[in-house]
Amino acid sequence: MSCKLQDGRPDWKAYTLGELDAETRQEAEDHVAACSECQDELAGLRVTLDAMATLRDEELPRRIAFVSDKVFEPRWYERVTQAFLRPSFAAAGLIAGAILVHAFVRPAVMAPNAAQVDTRAIEARVTAEVTERVQREMAAAVNTAVTKAVADTEKRDDQRTARLLSATEQRYSDAADFLNKQVTRIYALNTGAGVR
Amino acid sequence: MIFREVEDRDLIAKARQGDVEAYNLLVSRWEKRIFNYLLRLVSNREDALDLGQETFLKAYQNLRKLDDPARFSAWLFRIAHNEAFSLLRRRKPENELSEPRPRDFGSRMLPIELSLAVESALKTLNEDQREAVLLKVYQGFKFDEMAEILECPVSTVKSRLYTALDLLKATLAPAVFRKDGRIVL
Repeated sequence: MSCKLQDGRPDWKAYTLGELDAETRQEAEDHVAACSECQDELAGLRVTLDAMATLRDEELPRRIAFVSDKVFEPRWYERVTQAFLRPSFAAAGLIAGAILVHAFVRPAVMAPNAAQVDTRAIEARVTAEVTERVQREMAAAVNTAVTKAVADTEKRDDQRTARLLSATEQRYSDAADFLNKQVTRIYALNTGAGVR
Repeated sequence: MIFREVEDRDLIAKARQGDVEAYNLLVSRWEKRIFNYLLRLVSNREDALDLGQETFLKAYQNLRKLDDPARFSAWLFRIAHNEAFSLLRRRKPENELSEPRPRDFGSRMLPIELSLAVESALKTLNEDQREAVLLKVYQGFKFDEMAEILECPVSTVKSRLYTALDLLKATLAPAVFRKDGRIVL
């Protein structure tokens, strides 16, 4: 018996593939209950899809490389591009731009007269000042470090000496106790005191 | 599936901030599906592995361009599709000489034979039809997602898929139905 709906037949492929909304799906199910042609079509599709389901996924012969592997490393031009796009680089560029702009737009009176400037003298004075300051700060830093190291060493030595002294006193005290007990015992044995 | 999408979204967000472990986790989640999709498309394990590697590499490099992280799977398969068809286009002359022909699988078949028959039947489809079947039947994408992956209208997706199903039914259904009308699966 042929389907009475013909052109208006349910879309059985969409039905079996789960693409129909609930209402359309229900209409299709109501129809197929009484239509042998649609039953045959639906059965053929279901059998085909069931057969296809027998084809299982295969396991990977080997894993896809991880991001830390060489293959994921960006190429040199990608690294350069990414570096330019970083916020820190952009900020540095902004600051550099600001310095340049400031250099060009600051008041002219601030600019020294090149003819009156003795660059060698300035260089020598700056070098001498910098050298002297570096030496002074280096000496201060070394002095502080040495003082601290000596203090630490002395503190450690004091602590170790105190521990040794304490241990020696304890050992001396134990030995004295032991000796006293032995003497008392020998005395008791010789005099008969305490012997029952 | 909903939980999975949420977690994928989290991983994508972390990967975008430079968390390589998050991306590695995404790779391990999707690599098997991508590999099998590519394997059925290009019918060669080594090629499928190489294409899978390229797919994940390109996805990593372009992760910031992904507009909607909820569409990650369709976006990833779109990249895999491009990789596969780039290879298939290069291979074209070789393929045209050895176009597979439909085979008669007889009327009765064991399950293992059936899966081989399915594999063989899939190879008789053209690349567009086979891909439509892979995305719908084996990867479970909706028509609109397939249209996004394949960059074509939903009507084209349905046309390819429906033609493929008719061809597969003609090849496979006789192998499953026995002469007495019972089903062998």
